[in-house]
Order: sequence, then structure tokens, then C-alpha cells
Amino acid sequence: MLPVNYPSINGLNRLAVEFKAAFMKDLRSYLRYPAWLIGDLISTPLWFFFFAVGVTLFAPTTQTSEYHGFSFFFFGFIFIVLFSTTIWGVGQSVRNEQMAGTLEQFFLAPANRLTLIVGRWARIFVTDLLVVGYTTGLLYLFGGGPLPLYEPIPFTFALGLFEVGSIGFGLFFAGLTMKLKSYNTLSNLVFFGYMILTGALFPVTVIPMPFRYVSLAIPFTYFIDLMRHAALLTPTILPESLEYVTAIIVAVVMFLVGLTTFNWIEQDARIRGSIATN
Amino acid sequence: MISGLRGTLGVLAAIFWKGMKHYLRYPGSLLIYLMLPFLFTMLIFGMGRFIGGGNAALNFATRTGTSNVLVYEMLGGAVWMTSWVVVEDVGVALRDEQMKGTLEQNFLAPVNRFTLLIGISLTDIAITTAIFLVVVGATLVFTMPGAYLAFFQAFLILLIGLIPLFGLGFFFSGFVIKFKEPYIFTQMVNLIFGTLTGTYYPVTILPYWVQFLSGVLPQTYVISNMRQIILANQTLVSLYGSIFILLALAVVYPTLGYLVFKKLEKDASVTGELSKY
Repeated sequence: MLPVNYPSINGLNRLAVEFKAAFMKDLRSYLRYPAWLIGDLISTPLWFFFFAVGVTLFAPTTQTSEYHGFSFFFFGFIFIVLFSTTIWGVGQSVRNEQMAGTLEQFFLAPANRLTLIVGRWARIFVTDLLVVGYTTGLLYLFGGGPLPLYEPIPFTFALGLFEVGSIGFGLFFAGLTMKLKSYNTLSNLVFFGYMILTGALFPVTVIPMPFRYVSLAIPFTYFIDLMRHAALLTPTILPESLEYVTAIIVAVVMFLVGLTTFNWIEQDARIRGSIATN
Repeated sequence: MISGLRGTLGVLAAIFWKGMKHYLRYPGSLLIYLMLPFLFTMLIFGMGRFIGGGNAALNFATRTGTSNVLVYEMLGGAVWMTSWVVVEDVGVALRDEQMKGTLEQNFLAPVNRFTLLIGISLTDIAITTAIFLVVVGATLVFTMPGAYLAFFQAFLILLIGLIPLFGLGFFFSGFVIKFKEPYIFTQMVNLIFGTLTGTYYPVTILPYWVQFLSGVLPQTYVISNMRQIILANQTLVSLYGSIFILLALAVVYPTLGYLVFKKLEKDASVTGELSKY
């Protein structure tokens, strides 16, 4: 039997139709509950404000930040929003279908799993971009200044690598939800580990030495480092070209490992009959 | 209707143990509550060290009056987590019953609504006490081992502060029954509480109009008083002014919260909105 999560034999047109259907389905669900959108619009800038005010206590009275302090944090904030898509968007998509009682229909549909999950990812990515854009505008109006983006093309490329890797990671997590069912504890710990260890909000050089090795072993550290380098011209951890090559390889490997793991867990769940809500 | 002291205590004990069993069955959620203050403090401290460099602690001391960053931040974080627990539990508990299809059974039981809400709150007293003991206790053991008297006074302030907080929980409970969709709502409320109450900074650095909003939230006084007692050698007696305000809020919030809850519950029962969707 052809593995269900590999590209469909019926070609790209079918994939495009499936993707569009998955995207529109998720968009409709999102727009059906305006509280979600309102919540995003309020809580996203508020999280930034919450952290920013806390950090100002440590700041010198004269502004001499080495790497555009405000922009550094704001980009870190964007990286956190993007990662939350991975964990609670892609990762929890299977659990959401389980809870809604539609997972069986989802798995019985003659459609590619990957396209359906990527469709959900795409919806969240689009709404995340809208919320980030809105927050950027809001902070600009409150005197935060324009957000610099010195090298847009390398930034977009690094963002692409981040997303390929994060979809792989999300697929891995989506598989885990079939195994663990309630995985909130794990997802929260991974999320905080990401925020603290990957240099999203502060450079990895701030992290004490034994823990810095952990940071350097996490792929997301390099995606973030490259995006920030392209946006703010901060120095890279590895030599630039080597870091790009490393990031490309790691992104592809993460995607393949995530996809393979998801396939394996789904097949195992089918055999054991454990594709259920509880 | 179950009445009398023995009957009411029996009901309270039953609801309390139900809540505790839920926490014991899913220990992950308690673990998260215990870990979040440490994780948030690490984040703030890491960002602070980056932006402040070698003088980060000195800059912090200039603005807060203490160089003990860890205790200052952990006290705020612990109180924030207690309010998080109350909002999530008291506020969402009845919505969870709605989702499980057991709300009607609860409301049809011969138990006073107020007893029901108090029972839910009792579980949270145990959980928030555990959070306080682990988060603040562990921090003080390693940083200020002789401060046991201050620790005890801080705990008393937490207990006083929980009463108005439960009042807020009653309000959210009614709101959630009426309007459903609790999770976005609780996330926003928790974040607003964290921002307004000076969790990781003194509220005095906020704009004046925001400080006014901070002044009506009980956690603002709890956090500020705890910091005064543990880091500035104040006592409950010397802080009588803000303790008095806290006691006043402890009367106002539960009264208002319960009235709002009753009103929204009554409306929902008239319009048939007590259902799941």
C-alpha cells in the first residue's frame, strides 16, 4: 500500500485542491469565532509590552544597546510567534480533530495528510503575519520606531528554512499527540526551552557555558541566528556560508524525520486501534 | 437543598476532593504552574543581562531599590501563577462541566451555587499554597535562609489576597457560562493581570492611568506587600494601609462576583444557554 503521507500519485493539481480546501476549512473555523482574532490582536502586543517593561529595569539610563535593543527583542518576539504556530498549530492539529470527533473522517478522506496539515499551517502562518504586522504598526505608533530589515532576500530565505524545519518539527509533535493524547505539559516545556535556549530573545552568548552547548545543538538556534543576521546585520555563530549550508541540511533533515515519524506513529495507531479521543 | 453545617461541609469536602483528584490524575498541569515562574524569571533575567550587560543588577537595583533580582521576580511570578490558577480553575470549571455534559447534573444537585463555587475555590487554596511553598519557599531557602518569619507573613498576605481573587473567579465563571469560549478570554485576563499588577516590575513605572487600573486589582497589593516584607524588612503591621485595602477588596469582589454570576446564570437558564454550544 502506498504510504498516505507522501505526495499523491494524481499530481500537483490535486495537491493544490487539497491544500486550498484545508486552508479554507481552517480559515472558516478561525473566522467563526471572532474571539480568537480579537484575542490575538490584544494579547500579542501585550506579551511584548509585558516582557519589554520587565527588561527595562535592567537597561542602562543612557541608551547604548549593541544590537538595536528594541528591534532585537521584537524580532525575538516574531520568532516566538512563529514557533508557537509549530507547537500549537501544526503539532496540535491532530489533537484538535480528535477533540472535534473528526479525526477518523480526516484520516478516511482520500487526501494527502501532509497537504491537509500544511494547509492548516498556512492558515496560521498567514494570520500570524497579519498579527505581527499589526503589532509592528502599533508599536511604531507608540514610538518604537521602524523595524529595520537590512537584507530582505536572505531574511526570506532563512525564514523559509525555519518554516521547513518547523513543519517537520510540528509533524513530529502531531505524531506525538496520537501517542500521548494530552501533551500540554510537554508542549509548554518545549516552548519555554525554545524561548530560553535558542537565542530568540537574547544572544546565545548570554547563556552560561555548559548550557550554551545545548543551545548550539538545537537547529532553531541557527535559523534564528540567520534571520536576525539578515535583518539586523548581527554577527553569526558560525561563518556565514557554513551556517547557511548547515541550516539547509538541518531543515531538510528535520522535515524528513518529522514526516517519517508522523507516518510511523499513524500506522502504529491504526494497527493498535488507538486513533481515538481518549 | 442540602443545608446545615455538617451537610455543607460534606458538599465542600466532596467538591474539594474532586478537584484534587483531577490535579493528581493530571500532574502535568501542576508541574507547569510550578515551573512557569522559574522559566519566566530566567527569560527576563537573560534578556536583562543582554541589555544591561555587566551593570544589569546595578541598574535593576537603582530602579527597584533591591539588588536581589531573583527574589523580586519570583515573588511576582508566584503571585501571578496563583491568580492564573484561580482564573483557569474557578473561571473555567463550570465551562468544563458544560463541555463534559455534567453542568446540568451539578446545577440540579440540591446544593447552593455559592457552596459549589466555594468548593471549587477550596481546591485552589491547596494548589496555590503548594505553588507558593515550592516557588517562593525554594527561592528563599537558597537566597535568604533566615527569612522564615517574613515568609510566613508573605503567606498570610497571599491567603488574604486569594479572597478577592476568588470573587473575580466567580465573575469569570458567570461570564464563561454565558459567552462560552473561555480559553482566549482567560489567556487575555491572565496576561492583563500579569502586566497591570507589577509581576516583574514596580507598577510605579507604568503610566498614571494604568496605575489606576493596577490599584483596583488585589494582586498589585499582594505582590507589593510581599516584596516590602521580604526585601525591605517591613511587617504586616507597618503595611496596615494596603492590608486594609486588600481586606476591603476581599469583601467587595466576592460580593460583586457572586451577584454577577447569579445574574448571568439566571439569564442563561431563561434563554437556554446552559448548553454545551
